[in-house]
Amino acid sequence: MSNFGVAFRERPVTAGPAPVRVLDLSGELDAHTAPDFEAAIEDCLNNQQHYIVVNGAGLDYISSAGLGVFMAFIEQVREQGGDIKIAALQPRVFNVFDLLGFPVLFDILKTEDEAVSKFTN
Amino acid sequence: MNTPFYQLLTPARWSTAWGEALFGTRLRRVLVYVTVGVLYLSVLSYHATYALLGLPVTPFASALYHLLVLACYGLTYAYFAHVYAGIRLGPLRVFWGIALMSALLYGMIFLIPSFGARGIYDIEFGFPTDIGTVTKMVVLSTLQALFAFFVLVRLQGLVLFKRTKRSIRLWYGMLIAMGLAAAFTTTPDPSDLAVDGATVPGILAGMAIGTAVGLMVANSFRLSWIVNLSFRDKMLTIVLAAAIFGALVHLIAVPEGGLGPADSYPFARVYSYPLNTFVLLTAVFTVLYCVTTFLSLLFHLPTTVDFEKKAGEVEALHSVSRLTGEVMSLERLVATIVAAPVEAGMGKSSWLALIDAKAGTLRPRVAATRNIMPAQVEAWVDTDALTDDAWQNRGSVLLNLAGTDHRIKAQPGDGIESLLVAPLVARNELLGALFVSKDISQGFEQDDVTAINTYADQVALALDNARLFEERLEKERLSREWAIAHEVQEKLLPQRLPQIDGVALAVSNVSANEVGGDYYDVRQIDAHRWAFIVGDVSGKGASAAFYMAAFKGVFQSLSRLAPEPAQFLAHANEALDATLENNVFISVVYGLLDLEKQSLTLARAGHCPIAMTGSDGEPRYLRPFGLGLGLDAGPVFRKTIREETIALKPGDTFVLYTDGVVESRSEAGEEYGYDRLIEALCRNRKQDAHTLHAALLSDLNGFIGGAAYDDDMTLLVVKWAGPSVASDGGDGQATPEPEPERTSPSANPD
Repeated sequence: MSNFGVAFRERPVTAGPAPVRVLDLSGELDAHTAPDFEAAIEDCLNNQQHYIVVNGAGLDYISSAGLGVFMAFIEQVREQGGDIKIAALQPRVFNVFDLLGFPVLFDILKTEDEAVSKFTN
Repeated sequence: MNTPFYQLLTPARWSTAWGEALFGTRLRRVLVYVTVGVLYLSVLSYHATYALLGLPVTPFASALYHLLVLACYGLTYAYFAHVYAGIRLGPLRVFWGIALMSALLYGMIFLIPSFGARGIYDIEFGFPTDIGTVTKMVVLSTLQALFAFFVLVRLQGLVLFKRTKRSIRLWYGMLIAMGLAAAFTTTPDPSDLAVDGATVPGILAGMAIGTAVGLMVANSFRLSWIVNLSFRDKMLTIVLAAAIFGALVHLIAVPEGGLGPADSYPFARVYSYPLNTFVLLTAVFTVLYCVTTFLSLLFHLPTTVDFEKKAGEVEALHSVSRLTGEVMSLERLVATIVAAPVEAGMGKSSWLALIDAKAGTLRPRVAATRNIMPAQVEAWVDTDALTDDAWQNRGSVLLNLAGTDHRIKAQPGDGIESLLVAPLVARNELLGALFVSKDISQGFEQDDVTAINTYADQVALALDNARLFEERLEKERLSREWAIAHEVQEKLLPQRLPQIDGVALAVSNVSANEVGGDYYDVRQIDAHRWAFIVGDVSGKGASAAFYMAAFKGVFQSLSRLAPEPAQFLAHANEALDATLENNVFISVVYGLLDLEKQSLTLARAGHCPIAMTGSDGEPRYLRPFGLGLGLDAGPVFRKTIREETIALKPGDTFVLYTDGVVESRSEAGEEYGYDRLIEALCRNRKQDAHTLHAALLSDLNGFIGGAAYDDDMTLLVVKWAGPSVASDGGDGQATPEPEPERTSPSANPD
């Protein structure tokens, strides 16, 4: 079942102070796979990369434990002047974010490009 | 008779089967004693009669006499064998016993005939004719017979030291041959047999004697008890065997009253020549056995010290079997492990270094030591590097000159001059290493290395078993605790739902694990207002359950102070902010039912939307905005939370649930979803709350089929029937009724 995966990509951004780290999520993010996602974000933070875009195009399912990972790190990232932006969610997954009110707390964007450009503006 | 007859014919069972048959009960024992007594007295009276009255001896009387003698002594031997069958003495004690008896007999044979006149007997028949001679004859013969029986039963213990089918057959074969040889001895003088070689008894007796002697030789090489003797015991046994040999050889050769054929008056032979033959053969066997014992002990002596050393090592390995008994306590196990090599003399000191996976490090830690302090080990030996070396090596590492090795910091005199490191490997995993050190360089022989390696393999197994045992124990303990946690959590949920005038409630709740993070409750605020709540803590299992318990406290205390939904949730969010981990949140639906105003006010904190339908109207989801509790410290939450108030019409039905319901999946992996839920609600909207609840569950269960719930799941149905006729001002006092509405889904949560 745990076919979850995180892939790292970097997008060079001219205007920003550092390149944007893109995390491509795929599969199902639940209580079992949340630690993988946590490790990925920790890796970004350890490398002083605080401009993070989570691309959810391949994400089929997210549980409350998966949402918790965003909450766990957002404060720290923002303190460092960075942000976690969420992009390209499938409608059903977006609904889960939406029910909890995540759009109030996070930038949730239709495409990855929009998310990246949010950093440059 | 409780012994099957065939057992009497099975040599391996003889000692017990015959003993049982003859002496099994008290009555039988008494009968045998009486029979022996009567027989013995008749034999005595025969001699007395002859000696005193001088009656002529008829062939019939003579034959009867010999039969009586055989029966009497046969039974006596059987009694001896029975009594001694259960007693197993050490070889040394056997030889002591035989030597003492031989000395006693030796004294008697030389003493008794010298009393009074020499034998006075009938020239023709050889029978004694005076009381003195008769007495001497009877006493001597009885003593000889008893001596022979005693020696036989004692030697039986040694010859059958290792009971095998073959050894038992050989032994009883010898006894039978001896018995037959005795029975065929039909003339007083054995030389007569040789002369009358043509007689049938003579040939048979010769054959029986030959067979008996052959079997004696075979039996006298049954000496396996020798290997267990210590050096000192071997020396003693040699001396005793020599003494017995000397005494018996002399007794056999003694002309008068001795065991053998005699030139002068042969008391024993006259008493009973078959008995005498038997005694003589026994003496011959004893002599033979003493000779083989003497010689093999003599040859064994020089190797005894080496053998004892080896035995110590064997003993050390035996202590391995003790190890398996110690799996209950790791502490005792490691102490036993390090003790064995030192006790077996294979090393001056030993210690055990174990990798403790629980400590989160792969560095081996000294777990137990013997004859050395753990601090000394730490200071003198690089346990880590040596264990690693042994692991890489896939075998033991031997440092013959430990003092010169860079991993040893011990000084000369510290007692570590040579060191053997044996890795402990179980199921292809390194558990640690066993260290054995000696205070001399080049201290380990190949034997020692092999023995310690073998020992280390066993140790690894024992440690692995202990670890598995501990894990198993831990698992059982956990499952017990989970069961308790489950019970406690059940108590946190309402035991029964209150009865509210005009409102029907039905609810169900299951947890995917023993404990879950779902919560629901219904509570009276004041005379006409009721609050109900359904909440879901993010995550699953123990942490979710703790937050669920905390949330119950918040609901119970806050709902009275701030009953209005938005107010309540805002306060709850602030109250929980400090409690919740920053990755944990709680989604909640809170409803306030006002019976007087006939309205329901709802607020939602990040929770699934409320499904509702009127009895005629279209079903829909109510989704007033609100963040999940714990997502924001307060300001944003307060600013964004919304309420929705519905004026209730009879038949209005609200379904509150947790995401476990809509996210339940069919076996094909498809989610149940919001559409199916609201369709099921719409289809069953006319039903009463209880039936509707059951219908929703069965629709859900039908969809997921055999798949198990993988999330906690709560489903609460609230149905407004309209103001009750009996209601006087809506004073809906909660009537405790044994939870008629609370049901559980039939599917098993795991």
